[in-house]
Amino acid sequence: MISRVAEHCFWMSRYLERAENTARILEVNQTLLLDFQVPQEQQWRPLLIISGIHDFPYHNDGEKVQEHLTWDASNPCSIWSSLQMARENGRIIREVISVDMWERLNHYYLWIQSPAARSRYQHNRSEFYSQIKRINQLLHGITDSTMSHGEAWDFLQLGRYLERASQTARILDVKYHMLVPTPSHLGAQIDTAHWAAILLSCSGYEPYHKQRAHVDPEIGVPDFLVFDPLFPRSVRRCLLECQKAAHNISGRPLSQPENEAERALHSLVGWLHLVQIEDFLRAGLHEALTDVVNRIHDIGDAIMRTYFDVQFQTPAIKSPAG
Amino acid sequence: MGVQSQKQTKANPSATAEEVLFAQYQPHPTAWDELFQLPGCPHAHCQTLVDRLGQLGVGDFLERRIGADLVFVNQGITFSVYSDRRGVEKIFPFDLIPRPVAAAEWDVLERGLRQRIQALNLFLHDIYHDQKILRDQVIPADLALQSKGFRREMIGFDPPGGQYIHVVGTDLVRDEHGQFLVLEDNGRTPSGVSYVLENRAVMKRVFPNLFQHCRVRRVEDYPQRLREALLSVAPRSNGDSPCIVLLSPGPYNSAYFEHSYLARRMGIELVLGQDLFVHDDRVYLKTTRGPQRVDVIYRRLDDDFLDPTVFRPDSLLGVPHLFRAYRAGNVTLANAVGTGIADDKAIYPFVEDMIRYYLSEEPLLRNVPTYICARENDRRYTLENLDKLVVKAVNESGGYGMLMGPSATSAMLDEFRCKILAHPRNYIAQPIVTLSTCPTWTDEGLAPRHVDLRPYIVSGKSIWVLPGGLTRTALVKGSLVVNSSQGGGSKDTWVVENGG
Repeated sequence: MISRVAEHCFWMSRYLERAENTARILEVNQTLLLDFQVPQEQQWRPLLIISGIHDFPYHNDGEKVQEHLTWDASNPCSIWSSLQMARENGRIIREVISVDMWERLNHYYLWIQSPAARSRYQHNRSEFYSQIKRINQLLHGITDSTMSHGEAWDFLQLGRYLERASQTARILDVKYHMLVPTPSHLGAQIDTAHWAAILLSCSGYEPYHKQRAHVDPEIGVPDFLVFDPLFPRSVRRCLLECQKAAHNISGRPLSQPENEAERALHSLVGWLHLVQIEDFLRAGLHEALTDVVNRIHDIGDAIMRTYFDVQFQTPAIKSPAG
Repeated sequence: MGVQSQKQTKANPSATAEEVLFAQYQPHPTAWDELFQLPGCPHAHCQTLVDRLGQLGVGDFLERRIGADLVFVNQGITFSVYSDRRGVEKIFPFDLIPRPVAAAEWDVLERGLRQRIQALNLFLHDIYHDQKILRDQVIPADLALQSKGFRREMIGFDPPGGQYIHVVGTDLVRDEHGQFLVLEDNGRTPSGVSYVLENRAVMKRVFPNLFQHCRVRRVEDYPQRLREALLSVAPRSNGDSPCIVLLSPGPYNSAYFEHSYLARRMGIELVLGQDLFVHDDRVYLKTTRGPQRVDVIYRRLDDDFLDPTVFRPDSLLGVPHLFRAYRAGNVTLANAVGTGIADDKAIYPFVEDMIRYYLSEEPLLRNVPTYICARENDRRYTLENLDKLVVKAVNESGGYGMLMGPSATSAMLDEFRCKILAHPRNYIAQPIVTLSTCPTWTDEGLAPRHVDLRPYIVSGKSIWVLPGGLTRTALVKGSLVVNSSQGGGSKDTWVVENGG
């Protein structure tokens, strides 16, 4: 397919996934603050940090941070911007996505701009964020059941899972930035609540407890969210999905990565296969997660060079492949 | 909400929700009405339509109208104002009262349109080869060769399939006697056909029963017909199925919706200039699996922007060396380069002569009388009667660069007087035709509004005419300007079989 169109597919689903995950992060923070006394300056700032925002002047003002991450059109990571960008990418490739996808995408784009969305945000914030999560989930379902599972669909998958892998790593990292003063007699209780909130924000509470209820959450939760082979939001699982999509695109078996994108994925997946959560904890969870996020970022660059920004002006084009 | 649907209009205070639709309708005093012969008395082919729609209460009609607007909004068939980041998106106003044309009358129109596109294609071949029509002085040579649409790069070149104009949208109007006249031919990149298809889809959704009772010719085949026509003029015949793409200026073009709609319905790729490159005089598409040969380009980009190495060097929308590949016969461009000369409003007055000259037939469709300002007598007449005429710039479209004499201020008249004197070749003038009217929903209830008609003709190895076309309607009372860029709306056009 056309490289530019593939790129729009990739970014459309990335932005949708990003909107969902931003809503998840905002929701988990809200939940945490309901249960615990957290010093003002540490309540919302971690969310800015993990979104890569370091210069927001009102980081102590919870309402302003939420406003910035939800509605601010000048913030490219805000939910509003993400939905706007998803819709704009979708609009450009309307002839590629299904009619049902477009109509729903457009519907939610109109909704987020409507007074109804604002009013939901003002009066029932948790329901508002649930609605944002549902947008991506519904669109994912519609995509899956109305669009041919061909190359365009593979690029949608690639974008969705790459974004999700990175976001799960970031959500897990919230814990590091939330330096809650822990009086010793409360420490364990607060920790447990934090881990529970993080699991909840990834829809992982129940799947986790079915498998690992007996494990220390300090080890068990990061292990689950990074390494679990089956949970659809774990970093490993997301990267495996990316790998599958990349190899569907090239038609090569998983064992034979050839282009740069496939090799980059192969290398990170392989590394995650070799290391264990204990290695992460020894190195420092935050440091290890930062490394993972950076490597995912590099995979994004490799995808860019492999499929989207290809230099074609070479003379060796005598036998075009289809 | 970021999207505004059509302004919710209040019915005439005297028109209550229970009142039936056509009860208060008063046709225009002088214009031809497309539905009614006389007040309360529809044309024969409109009888069923008027009977059926006439049973609707105004309240019911307004509800359906809101429903129709919502379909456009939800499908994102909107255009936006990009000056503002949160720009308001608007829909093109759509009026629910269809514009019917009797099948018998349509058949004559159709033959006239076929005749016209044949003659235009023969003219283009001639003008870029032997120029017999100039040597025989049917068309003044200086007038033709000075046309901005004339591309000397095309001289001596035979485009693949021998066709120049593959798609034309011919603007027709109906005068007060009920006669159809040709206002202009759009032989470059005519737009609007997606609205024909969408309007019909919406009408079928909003008035399903109406279509069971009125026998209306289908328009839905257009994308397939266009695809077949383009395939029939592909340059290669080596067994591979030719690759057709639609070349768009991009998502910020106001017709982008149409480009993506057509690409989707035709099952072809929508591409931008940056997606294509030329190597060894062949055109390739940049795909995720490497370059892919392209055979036919249905381009919605003007000549000027096609190839920065030949035409406008500052064009970022085109493809460098595309014209070389074209001249080498390796790719079909539809429409061909250089068809703008047939669009030139100063050449248009000669189309009837072209028909006689090339086809030895009498034209079935008449032109509107036209004064060519490049000619001294015509210019003098135009300047003396400026306040009674409509003046048009020869290379403009979309209602731009136009003067409506009777409604112009004296400053505007002076401005055009100066313009005509400075560049006479750039202007033509025509008497004002009182366009026919069609009942249209307005702030005052149903009222007559002026309409035109743009049928679409597709020409490959054979010619196909879309039954009906785009009916554009002025929304302002008394206005004769129907262009969407000037605030006009559109209607579904029905070619109604005999017996309605």
